[in-house]
Amino acid sequence: MSEDERRSSRLGPLGPIVGLGTRAATATLRPIVGVAEAAAGAGRSVERRAVNRVLEGDELERVVVVAINNTHIQAALKQALESDGAAQVIDSLFDSGLLDHFFERLLASESLWNLIDEIAGSPAVTAAISQQGLGFADQVGDQVRDRSRRADDWMERAARRMIGRQPRVLPAEPDASN
Amino acid sequence: MTSALPAAPTGEAPTGAAPVRDLHYVGLATRVVSFVVDAALITLVDVLVGVGAALILAVLHVPSELKTILAVIGAAAYVLGSILYFVIFWCTTGQTPGARVMQLRVVSSDGARVKPRWAVVRCIGVVLAALPLFAGFVPILFDARRRGFQDWLAHTAVVDAPGPSIAEVSRAKQRAIREASRQPPPAAGG
Repeated sequence: MSEDERRSSRLGPLGPIVGLGTRAATATLRPIVGVAEAAAGAGRSVERRAVNRVLEGDELERVVVVAINNTHIQAALKQALESDGAAQVIDSLFDSGLLDHFFERLLASESLWNLIDEIAGSPAVTAAISQQGLGFADQVGDQVRDRSRRADDWMERAARRMIGRQPRVLPAEPDASN
Repeated sequence: MTSALPAAPTGEAPTGAAPVRDLHYVGLATRVVSFVVDAALITLVDVLVGVGAALILAVLHVPSELKTILAVIGAAAYVLGSILYFVIFWCTTGQTPGARVMQLRVVSSDGARVKPRWAVVRCIGVVLAALPLFAGFVPILFDARRRGFQDWLAHTAVVDAPGPSIAEVSRAKQRAIREASRQPPPAAGG
């Protein structure tokens, strides 16, 4: 039994008349609904194109730059940041426990640790760490060499002074032009 | 009595005749530090080898007579290894690892590379210089060319050898690798 037949049986003798009216109304309204849907689709398409054009164009960038450089906006932002309201917003953000929850979830995330492992094991990071270590060893080596050279001269001077000999004549610095 | 030995090219092992110019002779303190680094290195290697050998002997249940013989062989190997360490480095690059750290080099009195037989003589000279309460090293403080007994015996001198540090060498390698990876591959079939 179809839906129309069931409705007709419920409405009794008025059923066929009502069914006929419904069908007539549906047939009449179908073109109007189609036109309305087409208009809505065209509207969505126009909207999407407009958004794409704005995002891809230079206008948005210019607007943002002008807005950032605008002294009124800067003053307003500064005032807003210095206001008690901003401090209260930050206080409430911390008091709400939202940040704690965020960091708890972040630290519990396996993806984060995978990312950290990837970064720590990357050739660039390992090279930077080994360079850091070598650089430190280099500095220590330079210091030791410098001090030992000075100790050489000091010991020699002291030994020569003890036996009353003249200090050794140091060789001349090599000529830089050679 | 300042002498002008032929200079060793900076950062390279001396090979023979080179332009004459005044050299910086290295003094006692720097040479002691260099020797300490070498001694630490030799000791580290010997300790590792000794521990390994002791573990193997503990597992194998070797008779005590054989253990004595092995100990004698080990001691001889230690002495021979130490001599070879110095001799090989002196007559190849002129720099032991400790000398590399302290940027000094052993050269013969004409500035050339030390010959193996003179390297052995110098090694013996070091031992002889150390025997009378290290008195053989005292001339380093008074000699114009800062030569000790071993240098006098083997006709050698110890000179400054400034060169790039390990970090600089490593940085240069990294830079070369980066530059090589940036270069476009050669066009095929050109």
